[in-house]
Amino acid sequence: MKYQRDSLQSRKDFIEQWKVRYHHLPWYRRYEFILPAFIAVLLFTILALPSYGKPEGAVDTLLIGIIFFAFFAVAILILMDREKPVLLKRISSITVIGLFFWFFYRYSGAQWDRFRYQFFNISMLEGVGELYLIGLWVTLRLSVVSALIAMVIGLVLGILRSLKNPVLEIFLMIYIDFFRAMPLIVNMVIVFYALPFLGINLNAFWSAALALILMNSAYQAEIFRAGIESIPRRQVQAARALGMRPMQVMRLVVLPQAVRVILPPLSNNLVSLVKDTAVAYVITLPELLTQARHAVIWKRNPTPMIVSTFIYLATLLPFIHFIRLQERRSKRWLRK
Amino acid sequence: MAQEVNSASPIEMIRIVDLEKYFAKLHVLKGITTTIHKGQVVSVIGPSGGGKSTFLRCMNRLEEPSSGSIFIENVDITDHRIDINKIRTDIGMVFQDYNLFPHLTAIQNVMLAPVHVRRVKPKEAEEHGMELLKRVGVTDKAKEYPFNLSGGQQQRVAIARSLAMRPKIMFFDEPTSALDPEMIREVLDVMQTLAESGMTMVVVSHELGFIREASNRVMILVDGKIIEEGTPDEVFNTPQNQRTKDFLSKIL
Repeated sequence: MKYQRDSLQSRKDFIEQWKVRYHHLPWYRRYEFILPAFIAVLLFTILALPSYGKPEGAVDTLLIGIIFFAFFAVAILILMDREKPVLLKRISSITVIGLFFWFFYRYSGAQWDRFRYQFFNISMLEGVGELYLIGLWVTLRLSVVSALIAMVIGLVLGILRSLKNPVLEIFLMIYIDFFRAMPLIVNMVIVFYALPFLGINLNAFWSAALALILMNSAYQAEIFRAGIESIPRRQVQAARALGMRPMQVMRLVVLPQAVRVILPPLSNNLVSLVKDTAVAYVITLPELLTQARHAVIWKRNPTPMIVSTFIYLATLLPFIHFIRLQERRSKRWLRK
Repeated sequence: MAQEVNSASPIEMIRIVDLEKYFAKLHVLKGITTTIHKGQVVSVIGPSGGGKSTFLRCMNRLEEPSSGSIFIENVDITDHRIDINKIRTDIGMVFQDYNLFPHLTAIQNVMLAPVHVRRVKPKEAEEHGMELLKRVGVTDKAKEYPFNLSGGQQQRVAIARSLAMRPKIMFFDEPTSALDPEMIREVLDVMQTLAESGMTMVVVSHELGFIREASNRVMILVDGKIIEEGTPDEVFNTPQNQRTKDFLSKIL
């Protein structure tokens, strides 16, 4: 019976269903209105769009405004409606934002060619590749070494702080408060230029690493402490009642649960640590930003600086995503 | 039943001498002296704030006793030279709010202590763990995280977790107080089977039905003192002490 139904019948059914389904909506929220409205706005745009360049006269300015707000109005109709599909909402909001930038590009009257020449000038990158490679290698090495050591020290200090030993507390507070408050740049200068007078000679790399470790382990001690203290005492007692030793309790029960609380602030700290490696230019370490600065001076063009941003981005984005993944993993026992 | 084992061979399991506990100025336990034999199921009841939980927690030193001695199998556990972690492996403890480890599945909860404390091979621990989960009736939830289990299921997993260490004594600290009424039965059933298997148990509970059926000794703890003890029949039917009578009239 089913497949004998003719197409006219099924089309009628479809229209019937459509009517029933959107019966409760006012006219301006129905697709029957929104779609034609969108097409009308589009046609109007194609016909009435002023030409490229800074608009001349009030009419053109008004037209641009009207066109933009017409699109905006259609998008608002979709966005304010709880029943419209999310994909449609995303497309419409992205369209409006894109339109804004396109209009800005078209009608701002900016000197785009000069802007491009100054800040996105690929030809200025000739020969600087090696500089960047050295810089990236130094930055990565410095970041990884200081991050790992800082995390180990931070974890130990955090655990020690969570013990609430009144004597230890004094020393920990002094260390943490002091190095959190000390400007990194001063810290590096002192380590690099002052320690040699005390007979401690560190090269630029290890001076930078030491300064970064001192500051970030202080930050992280607080992060780890907060994570450890977020686990209720009953969890510890249940584990102790099973005969676990304090360090086993920490390793098997407290820390795995604390990761959930620790990860977000820790990833913040690690990202800013990577960017803080740039401060090492004061002690002549050839890290990424120092090298970019050299390139800027050499080429007399700021493009290399912009490029270094993209290198930071390309390095940090995978890391940030990795942490986000770990974060989701650390919460899996909370869901469902 | 357990009582016969007791009368045939009264092996001393726990002996408590003059146990006192202060929380700062608050005098919680005021000299408790008693002996618990192997295979006995002792129920501790009394009004809230009377020190029942503290009494239980002192016996595995989750709370440090202020004075007095506690002997478990003739070892004084209040002596600071002994390794309390070693003692605790022989004492299972079940808490009011289950306290399962939320980041581990049911079976991982059960396996954790045997693997890391007793150094049992993970495979053996898992086998034994599954056996215990079967005994408490939550085999089908073995791979679930505690968040997905009902209160009754969580408490039964918690019992299995304690049993996984093959303890000689089990403490229950109000194991059914946090449960919905329809889940109390399933936990009590597990405890009853455990009692019948000859385990030495100390139970803080308000479940009078369970106390009558499963325990062979009742202690009434009021204001940090044991004011009366005896078999359930003696204590419930012919209480001697006036305060016992007052307390019982409130709960019966």
